[in-house]
Amino acid sequence: MPLFWKLAIGIFLFLLLAVFAGLSYMAGSPRDAYGMVRYALPHMHKGTLKVGDDAPDARLLALDGETHFHIRERTGQKPLVLVFGSFT
Amino acid sequence: MREAHPTDEWQMKSNVKDDVCYVQPKTLEQRLTIANDFTKRFKYTVPFGVDDMSNAAEAAYSAWPERLYVIDETGRIAYRGGMGPFNYDPKEVRAWLSARYGEVKHPETNSEAPAAVPSATPASAIPDKKS
Repeated sequence: MPLFWKLAIGIFLFLLLAVFAGLSYMAGSPRDAYGMVRYALPHMHKGTLKVGDDAPDARLLALDGETHFHIRERTGQKPLVLVFGSFT
Repeated sequence: MREAHPTDEWQMKSNVKDDVCYVQPKTLEQRLTIANDFTKRFKYTVPFGVDDMSNAAEAAYSAWPERLYVIDETGRIAYRGGMGPFNYDPKEVRAWLSARYGEVKHPETNSEAPAAVPSATPASAIPDKKS
């Protein structure tokens, strides 16, 4: 194998290792780095909504499991704070 | 919306420590159960909504894993928070609301309740403590 390709592959592997090490440091451990890449990053999006845009509507289920309501039903009277998240 | 750290995906040690262990829901009923567990455990009183299994609200607001918005009286986005968890900042929202509408009367929360809640949640108050 030509020296050029050996160097290129070596540099690529080094960079890959450096990125994984950086992610592991940021996430807390190599396992968490894997979790971040496998399960988190694909779902994280900055999005295109901007201040001043019409707020999108969505149909949500209330905690009773039977009643549905729309986000936009709750707007108009006063400002509405939306808190998105999950338990875990 | 999707659980951020279910047991069958990227579970965190803190989830085990805090006994917050759930598999990723595959049905709306499972998602609803988690939402009710949360509200009962932390006595959460703000209005709650559970996103459907297509994650329509999550997609519309690019909300995963956690995010804050304020919609003003005209139905427009007035405040858009950063992407969670690193830029999820309830204190910033509180300051924003205070600057625009005057003092926020709802007390700051210092409970152990996580800032993240189990669903897309129109709320009249903001959790201020992040665990």
